[in-house]
Amino acid sequence: MIWVTWRQHRAQIIVTAGFLAVLGVLLLGSAVEASRYVAEHAPPGCPGPAVACGEVAVALGRRYDAVYSVFGWMPLVLPALIGAFWGAPLLAREYERGTHRLAWTQSVPVWRWLAVKLSLLGGAVVAGGLLLSVMVSLWRPVFRTGVDSTFGNIGVFNMVGVAPAAWWLYAFALGTAAGSLFRRTLPAMALVVAGVAVSMFTLFQLSDHYAEPARAELSGTVLLDDHDARLVRAAWVEPSGREVAEPAGTGCPRRVDVGQSSRNAEAWQACLFGKGYRYAVYYHPPSRFWRFQWTEAGILALASAALGALAVRRTLH
Amino acid sequence: MSPGLEVTGPRRAPALEVTGLGVRYRRTWALRDCSLSVPKGSVAALVGPNGAGKTTLMHAAVGLLRPALGGVRVAGEAAFVAQDKPLYESFTVAEMLVFGRRTNTRWDGAAAADRLAGLGIPPGRKVGALSGGQRAQVAVTLALACRPDLLVLDEPLANLDPLARHDVMRSIMAEVAERELTVLLSSHVVSDLEETCDWLVVLNGGRLQVSGDIEELLDGHLVLTGPDGASAAGTRVVGASRTGRQVTMLVRGAPPLDPRWQARRPGLEELVMGYLRSPESAALPGLAGVGA
Repeated sequence: MIWVTWRQHRAQIIVTAGFLAVLGVLLLGSAVEASRYVAEHAPPGCPGPAVACGEVAVALGRRYDAVYSVFGWMPLVLPALIGAFWGAPLLAREYERGTHRLAWTQSVPVWRWLAVKLSLLGGAVVAGGLLLSVMVSLWRPVFRTGVDSTFGNIGVFNMVGVAPAAWWLYAFALGTAAGSLFRRTLPAMALVVAGVAVSMFTLFQLSDHYAEPARAELSGTVLLDDHDARLVRAAWVEPSGREVAEPAGTGCPRRVDVGQSSRNAEAWQACLFGKGYRYAVYYHPPSRFWRFQWTEAGILALASAALGALAVRRTLH
Repeated sequence: MSPGLEVTGPRRAPALEVTGLGVRYRRTWALRDCSLSVPKGSVAALVGPNGAGKTTLMHAAVGLLRPALGGVRVAGEAAFVAQDKPLYESFTVAEMLVFGRRTNTRWDGAAAADRLAGLGIPPGRKVGALSGGQRAQVAVTLALACRPDLLVLDEPLANLDPLARHDVMRSIMAEVAERELTVLLSSHVVSDLEETCDWLVVLNGGRLQVSGDIEELLDGHLVLTGPDGASAAGTRVVGASRTGRQVTMLVRGAPPLDPRWQARRPGLEELVMGYLRSPESAALPGLAGVGA
């Protein structure tokens, strides 16, 4: 059965491995070039927080953005592709071409046929996702010493840690289940693409509730110092200590800003702070990175197991 | 009930035994109350019009679907060649044989390779590039290489030219002659089966109509031709048709007393057509009456 799995799915396996290899070469090349640039141009002590390092930091940022624009779409598109080309055809193509009547009438029982395929391909998908995560995690620090965005930026968050592996596995299970329901490859592929997009949006909305948000009271500014934090919500705190969403009757003039200027809003905020108001921010600090990674991975793994069970049930009956 | 009227059940041990089988797709029954057995070593023809439940019965026999009622028992291992001979298009013929070896506990790879070589099918050719006849031969070879006790073939001759039909049939019969192999094959063309089959199963509208040894069935029936109005008393009429003043009937058992009838032994096709035209008639082992 291992040979059969390899023979039937080698196109997907080779293309995915090839893609990861090309991406690895790209990231490696970019990292080597950036390291060289730093070695040749950076003043002593850079990169770092010193003022003299600004130029180097900007140049590195430009290099980072150039590569990031290439793979910024990967957190959404790669799971969709995995689901559409690894998951959807697994059962749908057998039904579509009638070959399930060949495959499932040999002496290998259907449950074993399914178990081998799901575990081997699921394992390969998880390995591929982890490899992607490792490559991205090794590449990013070259550009971003001390400037981290792995937690606050949902796109980056989904590319590091265990998130890619969990998303790939989920998409694979979704595709397999869709294939067992529709028994046609094309509708199953379409459902995967839509399903992955909807799931990602839903989990993003849900992620605010993975933990009780931390609370910070700010005075003099409405911006949280930690730029990698995830903001959940914010409110004003009256001098009396009461929290209100919109302060009213404060006596501070409030005018609408025009264009890109925020002068009026800033003046209003400064006036409020002057009257003893404070700004309460509810947020998740970046220290919760792994807690969020494992929570999301747990949800996706459970969903994958449920979808896998659905596919097995549909197939065995 | 006179002696000799009963179609006897199998004297040999059954290779396939179906008891009270009922298969339902959503709300409609594809197969109902179906009980039959096919004796070891026989070549059984499963005939019936399209939609009669032939494929459903075969799928139940090889475990592709779970019946709602009743059960199917196969003595030993069954191999199946499904309708349209599904194979993996992108595999080469040699890779199809590897597929068979990897997915079967019993596997005679040497015999399979010899057979394909004997048929002149190149092992390096992609399955998608084979002709219809070659494709059928590869599918049958795969099934035979599992050394099955029961070979189930769903419309093995459909879409084949007469030469290929003959070749495929010869391949199967050669295997039957060599060892104890039971074959159940379906067709809606009765003439394909006349020379090769010795057991007949007729399905119609999801119900079993006939099940028995072909020779005994033919011996137990008569085709009567006579004038309109001749008495058919004392016989069990399967079906009748009128052309002008003449009546032709298929009857089961002894000829009627009325001397105006001319009687002869039916052909297989006449027998099958007679039953298919009268869905309410049945000739089953252990069933006394013909008709309702």
